[in-house]
Amino acid sequence: MKSFFRMTYPYILWIAVFIVAPMVMIALYALTRSGNSMLTFQFTLENFAKFLSDPTFMRVLWTSLRIALLTTVFCILIGYPAALFISNMSERKQTMMVLLLTLPMWINMLLKTYAWRGILLNFDLESETKVFIGMVYDFLPYMIIQIHTSISKMDRNLLIASYDLGANKWKTFLKVTLPLSVPGIISGITLVFLPAVSSFVIPKLLGGGDYVLIGNLIEIYFLQAGDWNFGSAISLIMALIIIASMYLTRRMDRNGQEA
Amino acid sequence: MKKILSLILTLCLAAGLISAAVAEDYDPVKEFGSNVLNVYNWGEYIDKDVISRFEKEYKVKVNYSLFSSNEEMYVKLQSGASYDVIVPSDYMIERLIREEKLQAIDKTVVTNLDQLLPEVMGLSYDPDNTYSVPYLWQNFGIVYDTTKIDPETVEEKGWDIFLDPQYAGHAYMYDSQRDSFMMGFKALGYSANTENEEEIQAAYNWLREVDKAVKPAYVTDEVIDAMANGEKWMAVVYSGDAAYILSENEDMGFCAPKQGTNVAYDAMVIPANASNPKLANVFINYVIDYENALAISEEVGYASPNAQVLEELSGPDGDYEGNAAYLPRTGYEKDEVYHDNQTLMTELAELWIKVMLHE
Amino acid sequence: MRKKKSTTFLTSGYMVLILLFIYLPIFYVVLFSFNESKSLTKFTGFSLRWYESMMNDSTMLESIWYTVLVAVIATAVSTVVGTITAIGLSKSRRIIRTAVLEINNLPVMNPDIVTAIGLMLLFISANVQLSLTTLILSHIMFCIPYVILTIMPKLRQLDDNVAEAALDLGANPWQALTKVILPQIYPAVLSGALIAFSMSFDDFVISFFTAGVGINNISMYVYSMKRYNPGINALSTLIVVVVTLILITVNVIPAIRDKKTKRTEAKNA
Repeated sequence: MKSFFRMTYPYILWIAVFIVAPMVMIALYALTRSGNSMLTFQFTLENFAKFLSDPTFMRVLWTSLRIALLTTVFCILIGYPAALFISNMSERKQTMMVLLLTLPMWINMLLKTYAWRGILLNFDLESETKVFIGMVYDFLPYMIIQIHTSISKMDRNLLIASYDLGANKWKTFLKVTLPLSVPGIISGITLVFLPAVSSFVIPKLLGGGDYVLIGNLIEIYFLQAGDWNFGSAISLIMALIIIASMYLTRRMDRNGQEA
Repeated sequence: MKKILSLILTLCLAAGLISAAVAEDYDPVKEFGSNVLNVYNWGEYIDKDVISRFEKEYKVKVNYSLFSSNEEMYVKLQSGASYDVIVPSDYMIERLIREEKLQAIDKTVVTNLDQLLPEVMGLSYDPDNTYSVPYLWQNFGIVYDTTKIDPETVEEKGWDIFLDPQYAGHAYMYDSQRDSFMMGFKALGYSANTENEEEIQAAYNWLREVDKAVKPAYVTDEVIDAMANGEKWMAVVYSGDAAYILSENEDMGFCAPKQGTNVAYDAMVIPANASNPKLANVFINYVIDYENALAISEEVGYASPNAQVLEELSGPDGDYEGNAAYLPRTGYEKDEVYHDNQTLMTELAELWIKVMLHE
Repeated sequence: MRKKKSTTFLTSGYMVLILLFIYLPIFYVVLFSFNESKSLTKFTGFSLRWYESMMNDSTMLESIWYTVLVAVIATAVSTVVGTITAIGLSKSRRIIRTAVLEINNLPVMNPDIVTAIGLMLLFISANVQLSLTTLILSHIMFCIPYVILTIMPKLRQLDDNVAEAALDLGANPWQALTKVILPQIYPAVLSGALIAFSMSFDDFVISFFTAGVGINNISMYVYSMKRYNPGINALSTLIVVVVTLILITVNVIPAIRDKKTKRTEAKNA
């Protein structure tokens, strides 16, 4: 299968230029002192120290992680049954449903969030509830589509075999469908959790201004404060924490699959 | 004598330009070197007819780009992108001048400057208007529901009304470190541009008091719609937006506190790397001319720098007759223009985050 | 495998609720495109003025063109590259796969402002003027990861032996790819393309910092508004209508045609 392996070369080259190189520059900013020009680097860890030593920043990061985590959990809980039901439809209907789920994503997010603000004005809800409605709304289609993709066109023979062996519906779901859908859930988590950590527009608009989140903080440092060094450092710390938590999730996935 | 001579000269030049625009053998490429003008402005901040009229009159194409904040625009400029006319705010113009990123306005072309109010000229960010021509202006103040709060109370207390716990849950604050700290500075009798550490701490404490007393919601642009609907009793907004709120909801009133406030100017500048500065000057002159300035101020609702326009729109039968927010306060010594100071901004941003987190 | 009626009722009920939830704000956006006033929360009366205002706004209309153009090109390129890469990765050694996927996650994880400034710095240091091309390149950059992330799980389910068998039976790799692998992952490729298209369509921050002079997409228009202009609701309504029409053409017409052919077949039989 060597020839297939070669298919990755163009993209490896591409990510070197378009993902790795910009990230190296961001990392350089994070590791240098603000105010000096690109020519006279002065390496320092003080940006990281500043973040880690101020409980305010840690609190903001924690709130962001908590909101992202809960959003992801809600998306799985609401999205999984939907994905399952869709995968039981006829093939044409499945395509139709996937398209129906994507269409609203083409309407500007800010516009939809303003709409939610207007709709939710009529309901007396906690601001946190409003934030989660907005967040789950924004990310749910990704989760449904990812899970659906992994269980659609699943080998029907597996299900029939399971029924033939006397397993009931629940058992079949737990032993056959669920394990098969784990990779889909994992990529759903990736597509929901990762962007959710740094998103802040929805919580800000729906939460009555009660939310300062990490994405907000990074933007404040890059734009309002004009301190790219610290902004870069925050984004690196955030990335490291997320990578570590994703690594743990993946290990759990591997263990789950082996079991 | 010299003045008169130069005036005649300018008039001739201006007349030459205008006739050039109409003349049959007029060719914008020959005249300006290019028939394209790149304008960089805030979104929904112009009357679109002004652009199309300019395009027709001068047979040129205006390439319109949009930005949503001074800071974004500033970062974008660092990519080397070349625009011909930009409309930043006062403090950003100060920074661009300091960094030598602007070129001088050609006052032999921009002759309509004499139509502008003396009050909007010669301000601290550009004392001789060498680099900038005012576009729209406004000041920061309090919009309040007159059925809930007595106008006299607002006038008397000014910014300190935000310390009154009886309005708890009924107030909006603006999520901007600069404007919020300005409230604190002014309430305590300091300059809006102070760099004094003690004064900054005092303003920080003032804002924390506000946070405790009225438990405000920290919002941005959605405050305009919210106040037009009367969702809360009071909010801090710029007078241009207040003018809209007042025209939508007659219960609303506006007050520029007597402790002083910020006067904000957006002005047109020509970047040093502009590719068509000649046409840029012509455009700037066109925009401040009575007819176009009128259209822009009418459409946007912010105060025009054009004296006649301002008088007409706020006067009898004007669009903003009796609108307490349209006409910004002038000549009040406690009112200030923001200065550019990025280190101060970083510090205020950090403190502001703590205020919003109720720390 | 006959289902009980109650389950079908429950499932369709659930799907209806989900669709209602997803379309509620869309209805709201459409409704307020017909509002008389500028308000976003109070409907004061029916009017078509925002449609008129949209038609007279050349910047807004141009923004549709740029948005669609960029989204179509970015989706096409990123779907092809993403699919090829995902298939290649599934046959790669684990260490390479993990490394590439980890880096692939960066654009998904990084806040837009970081990706945007990173790309801008890249273009500056390469001495490239920002233009439509840099905008499209940037969109391709953040779209490919979504395509790969969508296709990889499907590839993990594939039976490797089938492709091997095809090769053993004398198929060349290209045939194994197009005749064996692609048909099996086709739904995932479609989903990946749809997600890529949506990401590109709705991006603001990255577009802002990588687009050349005079290029505004719909999001840039929306975010830059100093004053809310419901013309943008009119524009969104237009998008909804056009896409719905396309959906109907793509889905309903073949269905009718199928029914007709079935009927004629039945007649002929």
